[in-house]
Amino acid sequence: MRHRALGPLGVVTLVVAFGLKAAVALDAQAPSGTKTFDETATNTSAAIKAADEAAKAAAAASKNWAPPRTPWGDPDLQGYYFNHGGYTPLERPAALGDKAYYTEEEALAAFKKAVETDAEVDPRVVHYDWKEYGMDAWQSGTRPNLQTSLIVDPPNGRLPPLTPEAQKRLAAVAAAARARGADVTTPGMYTRCITGNGGPPRIPGGVTAESQILQTPGYVVMLSQSNNDVRIIPLDGRPHLPKTVNQWLGDARGHFEGTTLVVETTNFTADRNWRGSTDAMHLVERYTLVGPNTLRYQFTVTDPSTWTAPWSIDSVLPKIDPPIYEFACHEQNYGLINWAVGTQIREKEAAASGQTAEPAREER
Amino acid sequence: MHCPLKSATASAAVAMVGLWLAVVPTAGQAPPGGRFPPYTPLRTVDGKPDLNGIWQSFTTANWDILAHAAQPGPHPEIMGAWGAAPGGQSIVEGNEIPYQPWAAAKQKENFEKRMVVKVTNDPHRYDTGEPELQCYRPGVPRANYMPFPFQIFQTPEQILIVYEFKGAVRTIYMNSKEEAPSDTWMGWSKGRWEGDTLVVDVTGFDGHTWFDRAGNFHSEALHVVERYTPVSPYHLQYEATIEDPKVFTRPWKMSFPIYRRVEPNAQLVEFNCVPFVEEMMYTPLGLYKPRGK
Repeated sequence: MRHRALGPLGVVTLVVAFGLKAAVALDAQAPSGTKTFDETATNTSAAIKAADEAAKAAAAASKNWAPPRTPWGDPDLQGYYFNHGGYTPLERPAALGDKAYYTEEEALAAFKKAVETDAEVDPRVVHYDWKEYGMDAWQSGTRPNLQTSLIVDPPNGRLPPLTPEAQKRLAAVAAAARARGADVTTPGMYTRCITGNGGPPRIPGGVTAESQILQTPGYVVMLSQSNNDVRIIPLDGRPHLPKTVNQWLGDARGHFEGTTLVVETTNFTADRNWRGSTDAMHLVERYTLVGPNTLRYQFTVTDPSTWTAPWSIDSVLPKIDPPIYEFACHEQNYGLINWAVGTQIREKEAAASGQTAEPAREER
Repeated sequence: MHCPLKSATASAAVAMVGLWLAVVPTAGQAPPGGRFPPYTPLRTVDGKPDLNGIWQSFTTANWDILAHAAQPGPHPEIMGAWGAAPGGQSIVEGNEIPYQPWAAAKQKENFEKRMVVKVTNDPHRYDTGEPELQCYRPGVPRANYMPFPFQIFQTPEQILIVYEFKGAVRTIYMNSKEEAPSDTWMGWSKGRWEGDTLVVDVTGFDGHTWFDRAGNFHSEALHVVERYTPVSPYHLQYEATIEDPKVFTRPWKMSFPIYRRVEPNAQLVEFNCVPFVEEMMYTPLGLYKPRGK
């Protein structure tokens, strides 16, 4: 089970869960007064089998396939996508060295292990059993992946080292946070309801990973379920906003290269501290519909004041059913209040016993 | 055809530039009575009026949807003219909101306590204070008359509106029969075309939003029917019928024009106000520590 107890709020999760398979009752054979659910949302073996078949079907459907076009001639990427290309980790386990790809059997075994671990719940530590809300990734069409890591560059599949400047900067930020102690600004952007899922870019994984792409002449719009973040991407070649205008979601500009949407995003605010990056971060994303139900998603991040080299990922996002629901997160964010109260109590207990409490932080 | 120029001073101009004036008002001269000459809107690829673009209304209704004089802000000792509210005219038909007696009293109480922000962690109690002050989603129709632009993305099946304020979004499902799956801040919008007018039926509200900073409010029974009519390449005429049998004695209407933002490379600039309100909302709970301490 991943550590996800910091996700905001039962209220939000319940609303979101309507969008997922587990909430869709199939009334055939249902005894009166009960609901039965799609097996792939309740039974890990059924889900693993379906995911394996879906991955193979997607690969077959991608052969000799050309994406549709909008009436005005752009490649048509519109639809709803699950921002979770499998349980493939961002970084390759060190034990795998330079092995970039699994065999099909190895990929399925790794997927099976990941699904079963995710579905396992230890009642002594769990806050929510996410699968009861239909929020485990295996309940929503995620598939096995031959890649051993999402990162494909550097070739070892791991994040490049931080620059000395970045190490110093991040240590100072952490020291300041420890000295200040926990308050509502301690947790990440997601718990504070400032941005969802920490991006852009999208790091596949996590909860509330549904998203929508919508196109009109001259624009692509990306709407995320998480926090309802919306990115408006003009395609008309206009210049970026001046460097003095920084934003949480950056400033995106797009164009098509063949059937690939290329999105270049700059003007990020340093306040978001995304994986330690600064306002110098430069992001290039590539979105390609490679099959009727599969969006290939690649990105390259460059920030010379943070990483010693650029790094890139390659992943696939499966299509899912509509829609995207309202994600009113900051509105009455009781979860944030409860988190801060609880953490301050733990800090006081630690101080009384002579220990130093490390403020709990989100894993993102 | 209605001619916008009938005054004696304008007749010389009519003679000089001829027919062009029959359809386009001269710069600096509003069409009489706010009416525009007949206009056939540009079309989208599916033949519907094209509402795509960045739009903004220019009223003072966000302070008060009824007619109001200018007034000092709540903290003139530090905010001076910055905090003051401009005077303005009513967007409400007849300048009257038909409140039930209890609701008229509640509106006054809302106004008195608009800055008493009390955030609790008790889900059975509503938080107090003006929702905009706390960076909450503004709801409908208010989102359309806040002093921020919004952008319309129109497809045959759905129309997405992105509001600069808080980045609030709403999807209008076209010709949909689906009912609201749960209550929300921005409501559940179903659209259809009546001639060249986009008609949007909005339900499924949660009752937490207000119409303005003056405390005008509604309940979760709110039902809004909006009408967006293109009246020139640069203007939409907006009308909303407001119905809420728990709060009002009858349905009532508001209307105002919405203007196209025509600056080169116009775009929405983020207004993510969540970090702007954390200090105000959580300091009283001891959960916000001033920076630098």
